[in-house]
Amino acid sequence: MKRMILRTLCLAAILCLLAPYALATGSLPYDCYNYDYWNNILYTPAPYVPNGNISGVSLIWQGESLGAFRSPQDLCVSPDGKLYIADTGNNRIVVLSEDMKTVLQVIDGFEAEGKHETFNAPYGVAVSENQQLYIADSQNRRIVVLELDGTFVKYVQNPQSEVLDEKFVFTPLKVSVDYADRVYCVAQNMFQGIMVFSSEGDFTGFFGTISVKISLWERFWRKVSTKEERSKQQLFIPTEFTGIDVDEEGFVYASNKDTDGIQAVRRLNPRGEDVIRKGPKENVGGDLVFNSIGIYSGPSQIVDVVYRDHGIYSLLDAKRGRIFTYDHEGNLLYIFGGIGTQEGTFRMPAAIEQLDRNLLVLDSLQATVNIFSVTEYGALINEAVGLRFNGDESLAIPLWQEVLKLDENNELANSGIGKAYLSAGDNENALLYLRRGMNRAYYSVAFKRWRNEALRDNISWFLTGVVVLVILLVVWNRFIKPKRGVRRAKGGKAA
Amino acid sequence: MKNLFSKERWKYLFYTVSHPSDGFYWIRHQERGSVAIAVLLVILYAIAFSMNRIYASFVVNDIEPRTVNSIAELAGVLMLYFVLCLGNWSITCLMEGEGRFKDILIAIGYSLVPMIITTVLATIVSQGVAENEEAFYTILMGIGTAYSVVMMLIGIMQIHNYTLGKTIVTLFLTIVAVLIIVFLTLLVFNFITQVYTFFRSIYTELIFRF
Repeated sequence: MKRMILRTLCLAAILCLLAPYALATGSLPYDCYNYDYWNNILYTPAPYVPNGNISGVSLIWQGESLGAFRSPQDLCVSPDGKLYIADTGNNRIVVLSEDMKTVLQVIDGFEAEGKHETFNAPYGVAVSENQQLYIADSQNRRIVVLELDGTFVKYVQNPQSEVLDEKFVFTPLKVSVDYADRVYCVAQNMFQGIMVFSSEGDFTGFFGTISVKISLWERFWRKVSTKEERSKQQLFIPTEFTGIDVDEEGFVYASNKDTDGIQAVRRLNPRGEDVIRKGPKENVGGDLVFNSIGIYSGPSQIVDVVYRDHGIYSLLDAKRGRIFTYDHEGNLLYIFGGIGTQEGTFRMPAAIEQLDRNLLVLDSLQATVNIFSVTEYGALINEAVGLRFNGDESLAIPLWQEVLKLDENNELANSGIGKAYLSAGDNENALLYLRRGMNRAYYSVAFKRWRNEALRDNISWFLTGVVVLVILLVVWNRFIKPKRGVRRAKGGKAA
Repeated sequence: MKNLFSKERWKYLFYTVSHPSDGFYWIRHQERGSVAIAVLLVILYAIAFSMNRIYASFVVNDIEPRTVNSIAELAGVLMLYFVLCLGNWSITCLMEGEGRFKDILIAIGYSLVPMIITTVLATIVSQGVAENEEAFYTILMGIGTAYSVVMMLIGIMQIHNYTLGKTIVTLFLTIVAVLIIVFLTLLVFNFITQVYTFFRSIYTELIFRF
């Protein structure tokens, strides 16, 4: 008996020692968190975990090592699942197979107009739906269009327009193509917006121009300062776009620099208007809470965006190395990632892509592609949000319940389950879950139904009570009050 | 303490709420108010305030329950009450106010009654309110606050025998006085801490040497 107690105690002690390690996100080199309704940070289970990385050194091409990437800047996944890496410093495009283990192709030049041409700092790469490769050949001031086998198709270069400055030098950085082969290009020092080229390669105009916001205070200072002072002041220029992606409907997702940390991504419709939904927090700018001074301070610096599927998109933050994932309504789904030198962290993240169920992040300083594979938690959220996007919210209930088992604080899951209870007519459970999910609108709907039901069930008691009260009042006024009054009057007389 | 249990004083409190002008006048001139009741009312208000923050329905309540600390809020409300009275007293002393410190304590304490009642009522009403019906709650709270402000104005006016204009000017100056009091208090505390750390460092120095 004594030994058994001792054994149990020992076991308990060991478990106590192990517990903190088991509870923390294990051996992950980064934090996984989300913000609750009041913008408190809530740590969550890991949605994605690091699953190795690819550097040029470990790849074999034509019998020998491919050699390290040099400051690679962009990634692209073709519709058939091949991975294109813009190896900017080595002036080449590396094509990897879907499992990312074999090199299928290295494009370092092409035959055009009878000459052999090479790249000079190819900064961006994209593959169109029509199986053509678009390369932003930045220092050659052109976008090169190739067939996937490397044969030359055309150049997109030398944009001509009245709106362009005469001294303007076209330096394409990031490029993307929609279903109609329109080319969207983020160019260096181009503050007027994304440059759009027609399928023939003509410059057609700017897209998604960000208007400058001048605060009242700044306007006041500009008013009071002299002309000389004004010339030395900072110019008010619109922010630059940093990365682009096109979704299946042809809407352009474009990330931009934002010094306020409020909107770092835009969803542009074909007319170039921003139609993104910012969610209940009115924010799609990465971190909601950050230090204002010190190391890693300031709002997130979003450098790339990837449209995934079912309205889900992810932003890549270069400041703190985080990856923020939002749904089509602008709710933050999960956050993970960090700056560092361990596997799974970045030194200078440059681009993000999705390949199958993995997220790939290109680190330009480490010159590696970091692979993150989805966990059960992340997959459940992705799937549930996807079902809601398709309008099958009731099918998402079992998934949300699984999410709650892993992370009981998840507001989206709570509110999803609450909505299901609401449509099933279970108002009391709906109230409970919708409140946990901080969903006021649906809570109110449930509450109105609950209130009506409670009134209907108890109306007979209520009315009976009123009748009894009225009778009592009448009795009091008719019979008891006059007598008391008389007695009082008598008492008064006696005194 | 005797005043706390005097039925007459409590009756007079409600007379003051319904007839503020008359009520506050006789509080000044016939000693019909009670400081004990006034302080009790302030405590009640602090409790009602915290309860409202915790228990008001989810639909109207945007406050994180974890940030509500009723003890700290009680201390805060009492402190604010005291500093406000002190500020008003120091200003009105210089501006020919007739009220004594005691009267100011009573005037400000008594004028919290509408706010106490409506805060409690609104908290109860909020339990039956859904979205788009928040108006019931906000109007109730608004009425209470407005009535309290009016009572406070009349109270200050009556006990000091001021005109309305002069009351408003003194109230503005009271706020300035409160700020000065807070500033000086912080300054004094800062100095005391510095002196304390100075002697403490001398002490540690001696301990390490010998």
